[in-house]
Amino acid sequence: MLNYIIRRVGYAFVTLIFVAIIGFIIIELPPGSYLDFRLRELRTMGGDYSTDMIAALEQRYGVNDPVHVKFWKWFSNFVQGDFGWSFRYERSVSSLLGARIGFTLLVSISSLIFSWVVAILVGVYSATHRYTIPDYLITVFQFIGLAVPGFLLALVLMIFAQRTLGMEVGGLFSARYRDAPWSWPKFIDLLKHLWIPVVVIAASGTAWLSRVMRGNLLDVLNMQYVQTARSKGLKEEKVIWKHAVRNALHPLVMVFGMSFPAIISGQTVIAIVLNLPTIGPIFVNALLQQDMYLAVTFLMFQAMLLVVGNLVADIALAWLDPRIQFE
Amino acid sequence: MESRETTTTTERSETDTILRIKNLHTYFFTVVGVAKALNGVNLDVPAGKVLGIVGESGCGKSVTALSAMRLVVEPGRIVEGTITLNQIRKQGNGYKVMDEVDITSLDPRGPKIRSLRGSEIAMIFQEPMTSLNPSYTVGNQIMEAVQLHQKVSKVEARDRAIDILRRVELPNAEAVVDRYPHQLSGGMRQRAMIAMALSCTPSLLIADEPTTALDVTTEAEILDLMRELQADMGMTIVFITHNLGVVAQMCDEVAVMYLGRVVEQAPVDDIFYNPMHPYTRALLQSIPRVRVREKKRLEPIRGVVPDPYSNISGCPFHDRCSDFMPGVCEVNVPAMVTVPGDPQHAVRCFLHSDATEGENGR
Amino acid sequence: MADVISVPVTAESDVREPTSDVGEMSQGKLIWLRFRRNRLAMGGLVTLILLYLAVGFAGFLAPNNYLQQNLEYIHGRPSPITFIGPECRFRLRPYTFGVTTELDQAAFKWVYVVDESVKLPIRFFVRGDTYSLFGFRTDLHLFGVDAPHRLYLWGADSLGRDVFARTLMGGQVSMTVGLVGVALTIFLGSVLGTMSGYFGGVIDDMMQRVVEIIQSFPTIPLWAALAAALPNISETFTMLHRYLLITVILSLVNWTGLARQLRAKVMSYRQADFTSAALVAGASNARIIFIHMLPNAASHIIVVSALSVPGMILGETALSFLGLGILPPMVSWGTLLRDTQQVATVVQHPWLIIPGAGVIIAVLAFSVLGDGLRDAVDPYSI
Ligand SMILES: Nc1ncnc2c1ncn2[C@@H]1O[C@H](COP(=O)(O)OP(=O)(O)OP(=O)(O)O)[C@@H](O)[C@H]1O
Ligand SMILES: [Mg+2]
Repeated sequence: MLNYIIRRVGYAFVTLIFVAIIGFIIIELPPGSYLDFRLRELRTMGGDYSTDMIAALEQRYGVNDPVHVKFWKWFSNFVQGDFGWSFRYERSVSSLLGARIGFTLLVSISSLIFSWVVAILVGVYSATHRYTIPDYLITVFQFIGLAVPGFLLALVLMIFAQRTLGMEVGGLFSARYRDAPWSWPKFIDLLKHLWIPVVVIAASGTAWLSRVMRGNLLDVLNMQYVQTARSKGLKEEKVIWKHAVRNALHPLVMVFGMSFPAIISGQTVIAIVLNLPTIGPIFVNALLQQDMYLAVTFLMFQAMLLVVGNLVADIALAWLDPRIQFE
Repeated sequence: MESRETTTTTERSETDTILRIKNLHTYFFTVVGVAKALNGVNLDVPAGKVLGIVGESGCGKSVTALSAMRLVVEPGRIVEGTITLNQIRKQGNGYKVMDEVDITSLDPRGPKIRSLRGSEIAMIFQEPMTSLNPSYTVGNQIMEAVQLHQKVSKVEARDRAIDILRRVELPNAEAVVDRYPHQLSGGMRQRAMIAMALSCTPSLLIADEPTTALDVTTEAEILDLMRELQADMGMTIVFITHNLGVVAQMCDEVAVMYLGRVVEQAPVDDIFYNPMHPYTRALLQSIPRVRVREKKRLEPIRGVVPDPYSNISGCPFHDRCSDFMPGVCEVNVPAMVTVPGDPQHAVRCFLHSDATEGENGR
Repeated sequence: MADVISVPVTAESDVREPTSDVGEMSQGKLIWLRFRRNRLAMGGLVTLILLYLAVGFAGFLAPNNYLQQNLEYIHGRPSPITFIGPECRFRLRPYTFGVTTELDQAAFKWVYVVDESVKLPIRFFVRGDTYSLFGFRTDLHLFGVDAPHRLYLWGADSLGRDVFARTLMGGQVSMTVGLVGVALTIFLGSVLGTMSGYFGGVIDDMMQRVVEIIQSFPTIPLWAALAAALPNISETFTMLHRYLLITVILSLVNWTGLARQLRAKVMSYRQADFTSAALVAGASNARIIFIHMLPNAASHIIVVSALSVPGMILGETALSFLGLGILPPMVSWGTLLRDTQQVATVVQHPWLIIPGAGVIIAVLAFSVLGDGLRDAVDPYSI
């Protein structure tokens, strides 16, 4: 088991290095990045100060170095936690990241948990009530969940919350708690705001996962061992939850690697509409303004989340399915 | 082989029958139509004996077994008929009926049938490779059954599981109890499956082709084991198979099924030496016999089994039958009648009786 | 034990396929028969055909040119339609009303007031704004009202442009992005997937790693980053170039799914008899791949492709919504929905959200079509 984990961690590292290379290529691709812009600006300004600045910037980012040196400079700094400078915000990337990564994790992981719990419950229900009206309704919702772009759903839910429930929407806090120190009321306020982003971000993932779960469970319910379990005299609930669901979960854990990217993606777009203090909006602004160090750092962090998520899924699967061999 | 002689001498009485199936109809209501899997099955399972059920693939053997367990799943349903389970205890030479349960009237998910499953009737399924849940250890799955029907602690249940695994002659039972199914060979899995079925000492065991997937040596071992256990525990076994050789080796009585009906039921010797239904005869002719000297060709049965969706008038076998009587066989369905002078031999054919089944072409 | 031989098992009838001449039908015909029986999937197909016709003839169907601004009808609401003619009698011809602009004294805003006394008949085959249809310039529109009035079926946007016309035009981009992207996806996915499955070994290992790495990026952020790296629109890099490169970016992630599935398929074919037979007969690798394997996998490729179109449409919509995809003045459903980023705007001008319906309908239609195709190709899989 330990060997297996070590090997998976090794794979994850290799993947991360390649991810870094792709990230670097993306930094290098755009011709008119903010760095170029700043350098040009400094050159036209002239003067000693500017010359020093130019030299420092060129040194830091290796502007005139060959590509591999440049990559190495960026990569080694990245590993040490120096992600570069956001020219747009005039702050270090790490400080911007630090302020937002916590909420990003909160929203993403809440959505992940929400979508899994709901998907499993809905999937089990619709598989055990096949060809009934609720099952058809669920199918309709699943199709809609997959077809409606997340930001539209966010808009509709926000209008609904505002109009019908009379709630203040957008962001994760009400105005008066936004800058307040942490307290119990602030936490309650957070929970009140959290549900819209969580529901919206999880929607398409939930729709898809619950379809997968339904299909898997229908397959498993046809298995002989389910009949064996019934033939012992077990209650139907126990047959379903102990014998069938457990086996239907294996393929689901394997697709975990695909449900997490969907949530991170959804988070990026939906955060803009919902005005969330996550990395999504800053990421998109950084891209729009070619503030590439900021953008790529965020991209890398999102990819890292995924790699770690897949690692966790692999280990969970090994723990769940005794048939997995750990040579 | 001693038991054979006993069957031919004793008269069957009410109390000897542990399971009585009367006019059982089980249909599958599928999207493409209604599959009439069982079309009036009549079957008496004698207590303390091994009853074999034979018939071609698709004739409804498994569905009969599942109906008796009330394990027929959607879109299948028992539409007519009764299944009566006599809970009997051995008393001296005979049996005493303790309780009589009409299984067909029970809620298939209700507590009553669940208390019978496993403890009174147990079942071994057709595919041993997939009958055990791959996610749990063998011990876990046996203990689950034990703890369900008996008030025992976890430790006791585990001991019971190891005991029963030893009983089915699994080497190293203490280790096997913690193994997962994929770590066992096919033969070991089938033994584990038998152990699970026997763990609550049921009085009736239904074994649906328990050895089809195994090699010949393992098959022989498993058959010996089952016969032995049956004798030890005084259990009744319904043994479903394709294989007439296995029937000869295992069974006291045989029921022959054709297209959702039992067409002949008799003690095993009568089936082999005095078959009365043309279908039984055809079945016997289709297997080679080494000891028969004369050069006789094997006769495959003419035609194919009609699919269970079709509606055939009259006797379902009439278009394949070598003794087809025009004007009789395709008009009415023969009733199941006992052969005069042999109360244990019943047959469903117009060659032997004119009795027709109540409603035409059911 | 000598006589132990089992009863010969006679042919089992295939109960699922009651049609009798099933055996003689070609694979394609069989798939089409099964597909046609699926009402939902047929509905999806018909919807798609109608949608493509509508966006194809967008200029003709819409009464206004999609770029035509009207500063006197900024955020104007949809024109009301009535069948009550000027004589207050029911008429078969639809009418709309004139609109006058008034200053709201309290809010200091221009408001548009429907003038019920002015009834404008909606005429068919009228002359209006010029547009080009498949390369021809014309000014004939299917319907409209007499100049100088204008008909806004779905209202107007922040520059007074016709939302109906813009939605139809936007569909031209949004509904073709998926198709062009899928063509690329099929190309990349089948070539790389087949090679990976067929040759195995190092090639397969490398390909698997590449797929794994690409799949470990969250799609939309990766697309967004790549799209942000595209050059600005200029003489040498036109909007068309941008559009094409956006489709390339979308399929850059998408091909991995198809490649994985084809790899598995090809691996199973490798063990199949026809492959060994072809190898024994001395066929080259290329011949085996292109003559024997790809045609066998064709139905599979089609299904996977149909199912991947929705993802592309949604991807383009999201990118353009973020301002990183298609750029104005070109329109797509995503760029149109950019106007709805503020909740307040949507609440005041709900018709701006109509392009979203286009996305939903197109995606739904492609999904049910793909599902239906999958069931038709492989009826026994769930
Ligand atoms: N779930 C089901 N749906 C539809 N039809 C079914 C179903 N299960 C069984 N049947 C029908 O019932 C008939 C009897 O099936 P059954 O499994 O009892 O055959 P069998 O005698 O056990 O055959 P085998 O020797 O192959 O196991 C079959 O012809 C089949 O068409
Ligand atoms: Mg069977």
